[in-house]
Amino acid sequence: MSNKYFLGCVIPARFPFIEASARKMFDRLGIQISDIDGASCCPDPTGLEALDHDAWLVLGTRNISLYEQDGSNIISMCNGCTETLKWVQYELNNNESKKREINEILKKNGKEYKGTAQIKHFAQVLYDHLDLIKEKVVKPMEGIRVAVHYGCHYMRPSSIIQWDDPFEPHTLDEIVNALGAESVDYDLKVECCGNPVGKADEKLSNAMLKDKLESISQTNAHCVMVVCPACYQQYDFGQNAINKEYGTNFNYPVFYLTELIALAMGFDFKELGLRFHRMKVKPFLNQAGLISQE
Amino acid sequence: MQVVNFSKRNELINKNLSLSYCYQCSTCAGGCPVALKTAGKYNPRKIIELSLLGLEQSLIESQDINIWLCSTCQKCVEYCPQRVLLTEIFNTIKNHCALAGLAPEAYYLQGKSIFDSGLAIPFSSAILRRREQLGLPLIKTPNIEEIQSLLKKTDFDKKIISKTQKE
Repeated sequence: MSNKYFLGCVIPARFPFIEASARKMFDRLGIQISDIDGASCCPDPTGLEALDHDAWLVLGTRNISLYEQDGSNIISMCNGCTETLKWVQYELNNNESKKREINEILKKNGKEYKGTAQIKHFAQVLYDHLDLIKEKVVKPMEGIRVAVHYGCHYMRPSSIIQWDDPFEPHTLDEIVNALGAESVDYDLKVECCGNPVGKADEKLSNAMLKDKLESISQTNAHCVMVVCPACYQQYDFGQNAINKEYGTNFNYPVFYLTELIALAMGFDFKELGLRFHRMKVKPFLNQAGLISQE
Repeated sequence: MQVVNFSKRNELINKNLSLSYCYQCSTCAGGCPVALKTAGKYNPRKIIELSLLGLEQSLIESQDINIWLCSTCQKCVEYCPQRVLLTEIFNTIKNHCALAGLAPEAYYLQGKSIFDSGLAIPFSSAILRRREQLGLPLIKTPNIEEIQSLLKKTDFDKKIISKTQKE
């Protein structure tokens, strides 16, 4: 079975530099992941599903059927997309009449859901290749302390996601440690970043992020690492908003896991498009010796 | 004063059987980050209580507890000793709110974007240029006629899109 990306909306259309780091990193690892044509929004488990469950279900099923028809596995770049696709699969595989109903709708467009596709978060693929990652590290991240933010839908609800532990996850810490860096513990590690709340109450969303940042600031972490574009946006855009609102001084560089690995593999600032980050990452990367001095 | 509304209660239980398992122990509220942050003003246990009583006005019309503040962190679902699927129940209630035109605007905007382009965030020309600079391939977006025909089969246009064209 071949592997194909499910990129979602936020990464390719808002943070393409994350996609660039992922493609470079997987190529360097020799793990082949190609593209599929015509996928739609997953759709957003914190957005469209709240508007209309059936609309969410039908588009999610259509997306899965594209991969089934192609005979490929789904490698998702985002926690939210992973949650939607796994949840749709769970719902249809456990509800025969709903599955028939949705298939009846899809049939007219020549599509059918069978339930055969394997759905994986990209970090799961990486975790399965820890030794390979270690082999490809040319700039070990010794002395760098990383505050890992898992993001809720990476592991919850556990009955649907069936990956890692809902309250004591460890896979991302192990990947970070494989780069030579140190993943630090902090009190609010498995808590929500607050992003989904922002659609209804931005102030509350920021207050939740502030709690997370305060918890991180009680450690000696240099940077924050995420595996979800919604969490990425919350941390990278949110720090300035919080500093303005609360008079704080948060200034953490925020990295996607793929970016950290690509940096450890020796990819440079420019080719990774790191200048597009809101929170400037260059001073930190220069100091850490991870990019060539410019 | 509201009275117990058995038909709303039954409707919610029929859709989400686990609702009837709740014995109001409040474990969900104890672990809820939003309940903590709002000093209990948002309270998942209370939303379940209102659901069990079928109090439609409090749940949907006046939204006495703002259900849209749920962060969907799924901690309550993990913690619940009775395996009540709170977030699924909340989605059913949110769907009812959305149908009544009472969802926050950002949700309708996303729904409209997905209906119009198949994507929550369409590709802007600036992003397409940036993708090119980064050496990224052109993404083949979905056939809009297909997406809209599927969404229309669920009456998404009548139920949701019509709400974005008012005013």
